Amino acid sequence: MRAADAAYPIGAAAPRESYLNSARIIEVAKRSGCDAIHPGYGFLSENADFAQAVADAGLVFVGPPAKVQRLLGEKTAARRLARAADVPVAEGTEPLRDAAAARAAANEIGYPVLLKPAGGGGGKGMRVVGRDEDFEAAWRGATGEATAAFGAPALYLERQITNARHVEMQILADGHGNVVWLGERDCSIQRRHQKLIEESPGPNVTDGLRAKLGAAAVRIAERAGYVNAGTVEFLVDPTGQFNFLEVNTRLQVEHPVTEMVTGLDLVALQLRIAAGEPLPFTQEQIERRGAAIECRITAEDPFAGFVPASGRIALVREPAGPGIRVDSALFSGMTVPSEYDSLLAKVIAFGANREEAIARMRRALEEMRIAGIPTSLPFHRAALFEQDFVVGRYDTDFVTRWDPKKVSDLPDGAITAAALAAVLAMRSRGERRTVPVADPAWARAGREDALR
Amino acid sequence: MRYEVTLDDRLVRVDLGEHGRFTVDDRAVAADVREIVRARQWSITLDGESHEITVVTHEPLRLDIDGRDVRATVIDERALRANRGAARTRTGRIELRAPMPGLLKAVHVKEGDRVAAEAPLATLEAMKMENELLAPSAGRIARVSASPGAKVEAGAVLIVIADD
Repeated sequence: MRAADAAYPIGAAAPRESYLNSARIIEVAKRSGCDAIHPGYGFLSENADFAQAVADAGLVFVGPPAKVQRLLGEKTAARRLARAADVPVAEGTEPLRDAAAARAAANEIGYPVLLKPAGGGGGKGMRVVGRDEDFEAAWRGATGEATAAFGAPALYLERQITNARHVEMQILADGHGNVVWLGERDCSIQRRHQKLIEESPGPNVTDGLRAKLGAAAVRIAERAGYVNAGTVEFLVDPTGQFNFLEVNTRLQVEHPVTEMVTGLDLVALQLRIAAGEPLPFTQEQIERRGAAIECRITAEDPFAGFVPASGRIALVREPAGPGIRVDSALFSGMTVPSEYDSLLAKVIAFGANREEAIARMRRALEEMRIAGIPTSLPFHRAALFEQDFVVGRYDTDFVTRWDPKKVSDLPDGAITAAALAAVLAMRSRGERRTVPVADPAWARAGREDALR
Repeated sequence: MRYEVTLDDRLVRVDLGEHGRFTVDDRAVAADVREIVRARQWSITLDGESHEITVVTHEPLRLDIDGRDVRATVIDERALRANRGAARTRTGRIELRAPMPGLLKAVHVKEGDRVAAEAPLATLEAMKMENELLAPSAGRIARVSASPGAKVEAGAVLIVIADD
């Protein structure tokens, strides 16, 4: 809010009363003289009713129109559309009536299966079920999460593709029938289906596979009548076979990775498309160079199963330097609220090639400091040195296989210094406890007077 | 005052003497120590090597040493004398606390149940996600202090596990 030109209250911290309150947001937009609303990448960004309400209010929604969102937002409908566009789709079901019907379908497809909410993507409400006896619990958990996240409990099943990589294709479509693809991002490094590291180009994506994924994404977009920026997600198995996953009808968190390798400003292009302008380039004019990696620094404790953390940030130092970009909301003294997503900052490294991007990212993460609450930074630092990552041979199980107990190999000098600091930290904490909590200004003034 | 410090799997003995003098593993250490951010960050120079140590969190104690992460514990001599070898058996109870504020969706165990380490004990909804809280160690469920549907604060004791 400090960076904004104008600020209007939209309601209490609970999302339902503010960021999910469409009527309130539209009312504020009109009152403030806005002519367009960019929904960002959370909350209402994939909500067709909101897109429609914005259009009905005479404002421009920066994103695909409501009918496209509706078509692709229902995941089983999107799967049908992909099939019709001649794009391979993993074996799966339509939305399921109840746990019993779902369990029967799971047995038919064969375990492991993936239980997914039909109402929305982003990994919320998704469960891998490995065995029949775990099915009921997974169904309950997924139903609860899907209801909370999308207001729609409907679930469907998909065959789980093992050792797969999550590869997605960025597309742009204008309102004049032009659709282009900008390149892929490998987002296989996830925990609980939430992405932690993304990179482009995908380490195992050949020129041939890239062209096929691009063409498939464009076919889906054309068939859906897509307008604005979007992402078509695929699962790629170790043999290079791919299956359509879903379309994210919005800007993605990881869009900077594509911006770095294409040199394009995706948000600016979204605004130009929303204003009715044609795409300023053709498919042939899009150039990709170098490699980019993004680390999502989240308020989660990687040493405790990535359990979310909230609290006060005591200290922040963000990295900088050649090829480093940081998109961040961090400042020292801020309180990380428990109402919203745990994303704190995105660190993006660009290099002439993957090797250079990795080297720059390692240096950037080493330079970064966040204190006050646990964050995923230790995971990212470790991951950038994991052999599987370095050689680019990882899949969606990378985080599960990562061992948080692996100990650091520190030189003796660093150990000595750390031991001293640990003792000093404990002592200064003990002293701090004796300081009264309330420290009114007059008491401080009195003390200062006494010191003179 | 003497301290035992663990840094990941390494044990280091620190003796903090008068006038800021200290020994580490019984060796006198000549270090230039500066507190950069109060109770949070120190710059320490040892034998021409410069180190920056940041306290990421106090409980549990996590340190950032020159951009590398270490889990640490510090015990002072009084605690050492009082507790040596007895801490665990005397209390014999381990508390599962809410790691952050949230809505307790489910409790998977009841009093008297025996659980293995890392068995799921409860589901806490926070930050739009359902989080499984796992048993910190094996034992018997001595007490379940919160019921499903309850809003819990960070640090609230949810379940107490007793040693078998």
